[in-house]
Amino acid sequence: MDNFITLTNQSQGRDRMFRAAQYACALSKYLLRNNPERKELVTKLQSLESNMSGGRKLLRLGNVVSSVEAAKRTIHLSDPVLCLCLTVANINRGLYFICDNVLWARSVGLIRDIDKERWSVNASRYYFLSLVMNLTRDVYVISQLMTQRARDKNFQQRLNRHLDDSPEVAEVVAPQLDAFLFVLFESLKSNPAVALDTVKNICDLFIPLDRLGIYQSNSGVVGFCGLISSLLGIVTLLQPKLKIKP
Amino acid sequence: MDSWVRFNATSQAKERLIRAAQYACTLLGYTLQKGGAGAELLKLISQLEAHMSLTRKMMYLGSSAESLEAAKRAVHLSDSVLRLCLTVAHLNKAMYFACDNVLWAGKTGLLPQLDQYKWSHRSFRYYLFALILNLTRDAYEIHLLMEREARSHTPKSTWSSSSPPSPYHIMNEDPSLPATSSPAAPAPVNLPKTVITIVMTRLRRQLHMLVIVLRSNPPLLLDLLKNSCDIFIPLERLGIYPTGPGFVGACGLASSVLSILTIIHPWLKLKP
Repeated sequence: MDNFITLTNQSQGRDRMFRAAQYACALSKYLLRNNPERKELVTKLQSLESNMSGGRKLLRLGNVVSSVEAAKRTIHLSDPVLCLCLTVANINRGLYFICDNVLWARSVGLIRDIDKERWSVNASRYYFLSLVMNLTRDVYVISQLMTQRARDKNFQQRLNRHLDDSPEVAEVVAPQLDAFLFVLFESLKSNPAVALDTVKNICDLFIPLDRLGIYQSNSGVVGFCGLISSLLGIVTLLQPKLKIKP
Repeated sequence: MDSWVRFNATSQAKERLIRAAQYACTLLGYTLQKGGAGAELLKLISQLEAHMSLTRKMMYLGSSAESLEAAKRAVHLSDSVLRLCLTVAHLNKAMYFACDNVLWAGKTGLLPQLDQYKWSHRSFRYYLFALILNLTRDAYEIHLLMEREARSHTPKSTWSSSSPPSPYHIMNEDPSLPATSSPAAPAPVNLPKTVITIVMTRLRRQLHMLVIVLRSNPPLLLDLLKNSCDIFIPLERLGIYPTGPGFVGACGLASSVLSILTIIHPWLKLKP
């Protein structure tokens, strides 16, 4: 109960819960789409999903400032790759929020003569770019961790023991691949925050990929990926040490 | 900028902002209607207001649990009046949120056969009870503070300096007046006037003390003003004291702004 209240007190926590519910509706709608007995339920799910989406758009109205502030913070990071990736990601997120706010104004009728489709595509594009930058940062952090691990003498001993322990097919054919995967999994295990962030960003990536037509999946895949990434986001809020820093 | 980010991070702050905007729309709609604005503009404002109201209802989806937790905390207060007022107020607020959640389900189409009017009335009734209890708590706190203020002033002042002498007192001390055999026989025509003077002076003194107490206690003043503004909303919606959408909008906007002030300056929040 205390965890639930801590989560709902933060507006980000509430937003993640609504997002999880929204994508759960999308997924359920896709799974029930061919079931003729559930047509009424599908209509209800559609209505719920669009209401949650509309409500979340209103709640996102102040987030441009948060993104700008985050960009101002990340520009002072010492590591140049991290600085670049995160600042560009935050700027793209800010631009995404601006497009999202304009789309909100259009949906309530405050602005009339704008091209909704163009602004929606632009919003997806900026969101996609920010996700790509976040993934680049994840890959950079993972590669740093792997290099660090590989240099560690104790770890090298463990790696050699692992390669010697199973002298069967694949490892003999591609011992480098096996070693690479071993180092990768060990690095991810030692730093669960990076692993969580990578999985979250990969799941999130399917949403703009589908919207922009780069990799057409279907609404079921989009719903599932959105649900997983929202749940992972909720986990990082409940356990702050699972949140990647910076 | 940084303070906006911190402010925006709590969902309560966001909800208060949206509430302020919603009641501003109500007020704006009423003013524009009186001013003879076009039907399209009025429709836009009422659509915006409905959208904000629905979003706020969506934000209330977990709030029953929070109110129940607050009620659990209030049960442990030492002062019995505060304990009663606050616990029952939080419980009523939890019921209000529960009814509001049902209304949200009805409005979004999850429960299409819902009697929205009945549930809306229910929710406003619980909200009214919660506000009455909050106002009772405010009155109790004011009463305690005024008693304390009166006690801290009586050793310094005497009867003659803080209140006008009683008519019997004047009659007995004034040598120019003819001595009367019985002191309890003042002229009947002076009695009502002097009684009124006594009552007026006492009232003025109480009011003066009230002003002192409220001025030295800004959180209490803010809470009192907020609850007084808020109470007109359910009174109007339940038809007990119909004022009108303009007045309701103004009261709602004022109470939301005061609430936002208590979030920005946490020392202005009345504790417990």
